[in-house]
Amino acid sequence: MDQPAAVLIEARDIEKRYPNGVLGLKRASLSVKAGEVVVIVGPSGSGKSTLLRTFNGLEAITGGEIVVDGHVLHQRSADLRALRQRVGMVFQQFNLFPHLTVLENLCLAPVKVLKLSAAQADERARVLLAKVGLLNKWDCYPAQLSGGQQQRVAIARALAMQPAVILFDEPTSALDPEMVGEVLEVMKQLAVDGMTMCVVTHEMGFARAVADRVIFMDGGEILCEDVPEAFFGAPRHERLQSFLRQVL
Amino acid sequence: MSPSLSRWLWHAVAAALLVTIGSGLYLASKRIDYTWRWERIPQYLISTEGDDQKAPFDGFVAVSEDGRALSMTALRGAETAEFTGFSRIVAGNGDLVFEGDVIAKTDAISAGPLLVGLWLTLKISALSLVFALLLGLIVGLGRVSKNPAARDLAAFYVEVIRGTPLLVQIFIVYFFIGTVLQLSAFAAGVVALAVFTAAYVAEIVRAGIEAVPKGQTEAAQSVGLSGFQTMRYVILPQATRRILPPLAGQSINLIKDSSLVSVMALTDLTKAGREVVSSTFSPFEVWFVVALMYLLLTGVLSVAVRRLERRYAVQG
Ligand SMILES: Nc1ncnc2c1ncn2[C@@H]1O[C@H](COP(=O)(O)OP(=O)(O)OP(=O)(O)O)[C@@H](O)[C@H]1O
Ligand SMILES: [Mg+2]
Repeated sequence: MDQPAAVLIEARDIEKRYPNGVLGLKRASLSVKAGEVVVIVGPSGSGKSTLLRTFNGLEAITGGEIVVDGHVLHQRSADLRALRQRVGMVFQQFNLFPHLTVLENLCLAPVKVLKLSAAQADERARVLLAKVGLLNKWDCYPAQLSGGQQQRVAIARALAMQPAVILFDEPTSALDPEMVGEVLEVMKQLAVDGMTMCVVTHEMGFARAVADRVIFMDGGEILCEDVPEAFFGAPRHERLQSFLRQVL
Repeated sequence: MSPSLSRWLWHAVAAALLVTIGSGLYLASKRIDYTWRWERIPQYLISTEGDDQKAPFDGFVAVSEDGRALSMTALRGAETAEFTGFSRIVAGNGDLVFEGDVIAKTDAISAGPLLVGLWLTLKISALSLVFALLLGLIVGLGRVSKNPAARDLAAFYVEVIRGTPLLVQIFIVYFFIGTVLQLSAFAAGVVALAVFTAAYVAEIVRAGIEAVPKGQTEAAQSVGLSGFQTMRYVILPQATRRILPPLAGQSINLIKDSSLVSVMALTDLTKAGREVVSSTFSPFEVWFVVALMYLLLTGVLSVAVRRLERRYAVQG
């Protein structure tokens, strides 16, 4: 790229202490530039979800500073609604709205939040459904879809808000193995299209192929980060080495 | 034996047991020297008692040739009067009648005291239900609110209302609040029933909302919906399906609880029953009929709700 890309997420020494005293994050720092795909890996309970959820204010941090797309999240006055219009999220359990059809799932926020007309939202939704290969399912309810299809709808729902960045929290962990591929395929295409993405995943193949940077977390800390080749090829950190031995 | 046949057999057993119990009660009632007078009941449901045409002064009655008109001439003085539009003539041609005597009757079918009471019960229940649903929704939302003050107030309300008997609440509303605010007995009844039922509705609403997975709220907020929009478009529609069945039960309770308003000067179905008993001396028949009329109301309601439930149960 000719000019340096804008920084979308800037987290400095952030800490998250849960009300029950558990320290989910300690002094984690990370910055994500526009267009980057950052993959976060680490053992269970290492704070990956917690980190991701601080980026859209689902978890309020208890220390440090975090600025996302110009919104200063560590200040009390942070406008979380405005922020969340710019930050999409895809969940492990899909969390589609079960009482709404696929199309309604995609149109709800654009109509209610962005104040698009029903026709505009409808058109945008259909374009996105075509993109994730599910245009023919527009009238189905989530329960009538397979897990992989539901997750693709969930990705389209996040895209419908035209966010600056999308956060993925283990998007394929709840899927049957034969459906993992179709979801990863959609995510790969998003990366190719230049979408900024933060992805928590156990799919090391995806990390290797798509990530610009891979981040390793353990015990609430970011222990190391590197480009995929170095991360997987020549892991420097000892705990990362033992983690990779287990998962690869 | 086929499963369906054995099922019918068990239904038959249940029916036989009910018939046995019923005839047992009937035989028992024979032994206590009670004369059943069912024939007295219908007139208290539907009254054919119409208006009486009374003589306005002392005088003589004259019936017209076709029997459709009556005229009277006064005993003293020159007053005369004409009457038409009645159904039956009671006085005879040339009779001397005195002021206030019935000279003709107009047949008219009108609701008897029991039906009038049923109507009041229906009105007070329906009105209370509307207010109870509104108030219960507000209090229920207060129970799950992020604001501690709202949570405290809602919890306080629910505890106070559920911890005191409805009858006592009715007395308080009627004698205290009703006097201060000059409420009619009907308004006091509606207020008491609505306030009481709302506490239970609030708990039902709270449970329904809490049963919706947390991921739904997170997903709704992640696409930028406000707290209100999340409630309105995502949580409440899903909670409704869970809320409906217990809400139906609570509405049925409301209809039954409404019988307590008869302690105020309100002639609801129960009060009407009491009045009819005191004029017929047939308590058994009257109370059976009253019970049946309550059953009718609650039965219609539960059928209606089951319809609604089926409509909401379409999606998983
Ligand atoms: N709501 C919560 N309240 C209290 N503690 C929590 C909460 N959520 C997470 N934690 C704790 O914070 C730590 C980090 O959890 P987190 O869910 O971020 O880990 P993770 O890396 O996403 O794990 P996994 O791979 O299992 O999803 C864990 O010790 C967890 O028990
Ligand atoms: Mg997690």
